[in-house]
Amino acid sequence: MAVEAGSSAVTKSRAAASVRSSDRKSVGRVGRAVFFGFALFYFCVPMAAVLIYSFATRWTANVLPDGYTLDWWRATLADPRIQSAFFTSISLASLTAILDIAVVVPAAYWSRVRNARIRPVVEVAAAVPFALPYVVIAFGLMQFSGVVAPQFQGTFPLLVAGHSAIAFPFVYWAVDGAMAAAGIERLTETAEACGASPYQALMRVVLPNISAGLVTGGLLSFAASFGEFAMAQIIGRSLDTVPLWSAEMIRSYTDTAGSYNRLAVVTLLTFAVLFVLSALVVYWNRGQTVRLLPGAGASDQGGRQ
Amino acid sequence: MSGVSLVGVTKMYGAVKALDHVSVDVRDGELLALLGPSGCGKTTLLRCVAGLERPDRGSVEIGEADITVTPTRERPIGMVFQNYALFPNLTVRQNIAFPLEVRHRPRTEIDARVYELLDLVHLTEQGDRYPKQISGGQAQRCALGRALAPNPEVLLLDEPLSALDALVRGRLRDEIRRVQQLVGITAIYVTHDQSEAMAIADRVAVMNAGRVEQIAAPADLYDMPSTQFSAKFVGSRNAVELAVRNGQVGIPGSFQIDAPAGSNGHALAFFRPEDVKVSVGDDGPGMAARVELKIFLGATTRLHLVGEADGEPIALFGDLPSRRARQIGEGEMVRVDVDPDHVQAFPV
Repeated sequence: MAVEAGSSAVTKSRAAASVRSSDRKSVGRVGRAVFFGFALFYFCVPMAAVLIYSFATRWTANVLPDGYTLDWWRATLADPRIQSAFFTSISLASLTAILDIAVVVPAAYWSRVRNARIRPVVEVAAAVPFALPYVVIAFGLMQFSGVVAPQFQGTFPLLVAGHSAIAFPFVYWAVDGAMAAAGIERLTETAEACGASPYQALMRVVLPNISAGLVTGGLLSFAASFGEFAMAQIIGRSLDTVPLWSAEMIRSYTDTAGSYNRLAVVTLLTFAVLFVLSALVVYWNRGQTVRLLPGAGASDQGGRQ
Repeated sequence: MSGVSLVGVTKMYGAVKALDHVSVDVRDGELLALLGPSGCGKTTLLRCVAGLERPDRGSVEIGEADITVTPTRERPIGMVFQNYALFPNLTVRQNIAFPLEVRHRPRTEIDARVYELLDLVHLTEQGDRYPKQISGGQAQRCALGRALAPNPEVLLLDEPLSALDALVRGRLRDEIRRVQQLVGITAIYVTHDQSEAMAIADRVAVMNAGRVEQIAAPADLYDMPSTQFSAKFVGSRNAVELAVRNGQVGIPGSFQIDAPAGSNGHALAFFRPEDVKVSVGDDGPGMAARVELKIFLGATTRLHLVGEADGEPIALFGDLPSRRARQIGEGEMVRVDVDPDHVQAFPV
């Protein structure tokens, strides 16, 4: 679910771009409106159901609940276990995103600018986590850490390492695409010819021109880590992440009253975290896109030589 | 004094010799064009001066300093690339300021210099625009300003006009020349367009297959190409293969010159279409030829002519003023004469 929210942000920004470019044509406008309406319905109805459920006292026989209450929200927000699960998940996802960016950006940059021969290696590595089920990777990591560093088993650092390993392709493909689009090899040469040191070239030319890819990749890896369950279950059992807590709530339905309602609250909170991040990314990238798009704001450029 | 001197520069890409012992001297304040077809090594040579390629052998000097292994950023160069390589995240003003900022110059000095350069390349009004908001010609002028900002000793231009349309190209070419002469900077200009090279350069170096074929002033190069390749590549020329008789080659009734040294049976004679004299009628000097095709080019008209020498057909073309060409129709017989002073022959 978390991953879906992240990628839907990307889809939305792409759709917005294509809508802009075909504005002239009025044909298909109706079709687009219908499609948009359907998509809105498809995304909103489940969320609305969850939202209503989180306020429901009892919801069994009728279309709408029998009554409404704020109890579930109050109880959930006050629950120290949930607070700690959110804290763990957000730290985990943030560290995963930061670690992935720190590792992947130099590697992608190096493979493009300095040594094209490592590209095939990097690309294969970036496809592996998509090809193998996370459960397999998780068991592999557990076996491996058992041999190499048993004291890390079941701990937060190992889970950060595991999540970084499965989420880095999101960063790689986003960043690599941004680098290709920006023509980073040429920009680097230009910066060098202008007298910039490698550090100056990186900070003042490379990073600003791939920032859209950085933010998108960072968000995708954050979302992948935030919503990841299988690996957390296997190598982070002693931890309490939001998906682990949610799974426990689902299993304990018959024991504890209101566990589904509290689950609804947590689902909405998760959604809110990812939605706010996505919105920030779209907002942030919009400035970038407008500035970097060909012909942007250049209505009066022609003829002036 | 900062000319550029390249001595015995060799660069291999695998087994391919991109540059084969190239030695060139660029004089102080001169604009030297490197002219040649794609793959001749002209861009590689420029990149060796910029430090973006390192020669396998040979040396590169700017002024008195050997910079063969100096990193690009420490070389006293400014560079303009083919496809407007402006930084998209910076405005025109910030692009021009960039080389000064990375050198940590004081702010007041940077502002004054940027102002001066915007004026020099006529972009004062576009200073606060982003590269995507200006035209291709403006982008290259901005790139020129950026290249000149740190007062480099040598300006390197890598096909700066090739991405522009024809009208802008001519204007910007003259603009680059004006700025180069005003600043008095030594410049190396890479191009595959011979008319561009001849219009802008003090001297042209014709390159082919990793070697410099000839270095000469444009007029000399046009009049007297020293090698067969230069003759073929510069200007449009007739290239006629002729038999060598008694140490001479020629078209009977038209011209006769000494055969080039080393020719063996045949020689290739080069002469320009404007040196072909066409007269109407059967009498008069020259070889009899038939007008196969007339192509109107504006001031001149090009005639495709077929004559005969030693029983072999000879195809050549001649340019004559369009007013005169009006009298000549396709299919007519004319006399064709060529001034022997303007014929060059090379061994086949």
